[in-house]
Amino acid sequence: MKTGDSYIFRSVASFLFFVINVFAVYLLLRGHNLPGGGFIGGLGSALSLIMLSMAYGVREAQKVLRVDPVRLATVGLLLAVVTGMLPLFLGEPFLRHFHWKFDGLPLLGKLEVGTPLLFDIGIFLVVVGVTAKMIFVLFRSISGLTALNPSEWRRYSADLEEPVEREHSRSSSELETEDGP
Amino acid sequence: MKALVLALPILLPLLTAIVLLLAGRRRWRRWLVALSALVQLGVALVLAQGAYGQPPQVLALGGWAAPYGIVLVIDLLAAIMLALGALTALAAILFGLAELPPEDENPLRLPLIQFLVTGINLAFCTADLFNLFVAFEVMLIASYALLTLEADDWDIKQAFPYLALNLVGSTLFLVAAGLTYGMFGSLNFALIAERADALAGTPQLTLLSLLFLTVFGMKAGVFPLFYWLPNSYPILPSPVAALYAGMLTKVGVYVLLRIFGQVLPPDLPLPHLLMAWLAAATMIFGVLGAVSRNFIRGILSFHILSQIGYMVLAIGLFTPYALAAAIFYIIHHIVVKSTLFLVGGTVVVLNRTDDLEKTGRLWLATPVLGVIFLLQALSLAGIPPLSGFWGKYMIIVEGVRQQEWVLVFCALLAGVLTLFSMLKIWNGAFWAASAKEGVHTEERRWRPMAAVAGGMTVVSLGIGFGAEFFLRVAHEAARQLLDRPAYIDFLLRGGG
Repeated sequence: MKTGDSYIFRSVASFLFFVINVFAVYLLLRGHNLPGGGFIGGLGSALSLIMLSMAYGVREAQKVLRVDPVRLATVGLLLAVVTGMLPLFLGEPFLRHFHWKFDGLPLLGKLEVGTPLLFDIGIFLVVVGVTAKMIFVLFRSISGLTALNPSEWRRYSADLEEPVEREHSRSSSELETEDGP
Repeated sequence: MKALVLALPILLPLLTAIVLLLAGRRRWRRWLVALSALVQLGVALVLAQGAYGQPPQVLALGGWAAPYGIVLVIDLLAAIMLALGALTALAAILFGLAELPPEDENPLRLPLIQFLVTGINLAFCTADLFNLFVAFEVMLIASYALLTLEADDWDIKQAFPYLALNLVGSTLFLVAAGLTYGMFGSLNFALIAERADALAGTPQLTLLSLLFLTVFGMKAGVFPLFYWLPNSYPILPSPVAALYAGMLTKVGVYVLLRIFGQVLPPDLPLPHLLMAWLAAATMIFGVLGAVSRNFIRGILSFHILSQIGYMVLAIGLFTPYALAAAIFYIIHHIVVKSTLFLVGGTVVVLNRTDDLEKTGRLWLATPVLGVIFLLQALSLAGIPPLSGFWGKYMIIVEGVRQQEWVLVFCALLAGVLTLFSMLKIWNGAFWAASAKEGVHTEERRWRPMAAVAGGMTVVSLGIGFGAEFFLRVAHEAARQLLDRPAYIDFLLRGGG
C-alpha cells in the first residue's frame, strides 16, 4: 500500500490526531457513571494511530507512540491489577473501589474522584497498547517491512530464531538500517 | 487475609506474567517463574485442604454479593483442579527450563504460560456464566499465541483448525449465555440452579442443556467436534504440549461437571444419554486415531480424546458414584498424560525425532526413562494397581450396574487398544534395535528432563497406591457438587 502521498489527508490527519485524542481522554474521564470508560477511550486513541499510519506511514506512527506497545499494555495491566489489589491490604475484597468527593476546588468546583479512574487508565493503556501492536504489525506487513522492528526483535525473540521475512529474502538491508542512528 | 488467599490463584500468575513481560530477557525471570509456580501449587494445596468437608469459600469481587455481583467460589472440586493445574504448570515450566538454555527460549513463552494459567484458574473458580466466558477467552487467546509463537508455515496450517473451531465454540458459548440470561434473568450459577428447578423437564431446558453440551463438549474434544486437537498439539514445544494435554481439554470436562452436576437439574435423561454415547464414540475414534499415528506426540494427542471419552462417559452415567469416578479419572489423567508428553519431549532430545521409524535403542541407553514410560503407559491403559485402573474400574462398574453393555464394551475395547498403541511407542522408541540418528546421551540436559518426568511419575504412583485417599476426596467433591440445595442456600442466603 502506498501511504503518505496525499497532502490534504496528511494535513487533516495531523489536526484530527489531537481532536481524537482529546475526545478519547474525555471518554475515559466521564466513564465511571456515564457511557465511556477506559476501553472505548483506548479504542479511540488507537484509532488516531491507525489514521496516522495511513497518512504518514507506519514508521512515523511508531515514532509518535515512542514506546513499545507491548510494554505500554503491560504497564496498563499492572496498573489495573494493582488498583484492584489495594483493598486486599485493607481487609476489603479484591476489586473494591473507593471514592472521594471534593467541593469548592478552584476552577473545577465540585469534583468526584475514585480508584475506578486508576483502573480505567490501566484499561486505556492496555487497549491502546494491544491495538497499536496489532495495527503496526498489519501495516508493516502491507508496506513491506518486517513484522518486528529491530528493538522489538531483540526483546521478543530467541537467539535460535530467524525472522520469517528473511527466509523469503525480502531486502534484508532494510532490517539493518531501520531505526538506526 | 481470607480474601487475599482466595484471590491468589488468579493474581499470582497474572502478576508473574506482567513482571515477566517487563523483565524482557533477563536471566532471573526463570527463577522467578519457577518460584511463582511453586507458590501457586502451595496455595492450591492449602485451599484444597480447607475445602475438604467444609462449605465452599466465596469471594465477592468488589464486595458485591452473590446474585448481583460476580463471585468466585472455591469448593473441593475447584481446589483439586487448581492444585492439578499448578502441578502441571510447575512440571511444564521446570521441564522447559531444563530443555532450553535461557538464550534459546522465546522470551514470550513463560509470560504466555502464566496468562494461560490465569485463564484456567479463573475458569475453575468462577460461579458466573459470563465470567466463565471471559476466563475461556483469556485462556484461549493465550493458547492461540503459545500455539503459533514458535511455529513455522506448516505448523500454522496445523494450528488453523484449532483457531477456527474454538472461535465457533466461543460464539456458541456466547449464544448459550444469552439464552440462559433470557430464560433465567441471571448468569449466576446459584440463581440459575434455583430457577432451573422450576423448568425441570421442559423442552427449553433440554435444548439449553444440549447447547451447553455442544459448547463444552467441543472445548473438551468430544466426538464429533474434536478435530481441532490431534493435529495442533504435536506442533507445540514439548513442555507447553504437556501443559495443554494435561489441562486445556480438562477445563471443558470440568465445566461439563460443574454445569450438568450443579447448575442444571439432575433429571435431563436425553442430554445425559447423548453424552454417554458421544463419549463412547470419542473413546473408540480417539484410540483408533492413536493407533493410526506413527510419531509419539501424535499418538499421545489422539489418546487425550479417548481418555476424555472415559470422563465424559462417567458424567453421562450421572450417579454420585459415576461423578466421583469422573473426578478421580481427571486427577489420574492430568498427571499421567502430561508426564507422557514430557517423556515424548525427552525422546526427541535423545533421538533427535519422535518418528517411531527413526527412534530406538532407548531401553539400552536409559532404562530409567523406559521404566518411567512403562509405568505411565500401563497406568494409562488401566493395569492394576496403577492409578488408571481405579478410575476405569469405577466407570465400568457403574456401567454394569446400569446395564449399559454396549458402553461397557466400548470402554473395555478402548482400554485394550490403548495398551496396543502404547506398545507401539514402546517397540518403536525403547525396544527397537537401531536408531537412525543414534542415541545422544551425551546431551546432558536429558537427565533433568527425565527427572521432572520421574517426579510426576512418583505423584502418579502415589495416586495409584494411595487410591483410597484420593477416592475419598473424589467422593467428597462429587457429594459437594451434587448437593445443589446447600449450594444455592449458601450462595444466595447464607455465607460469602
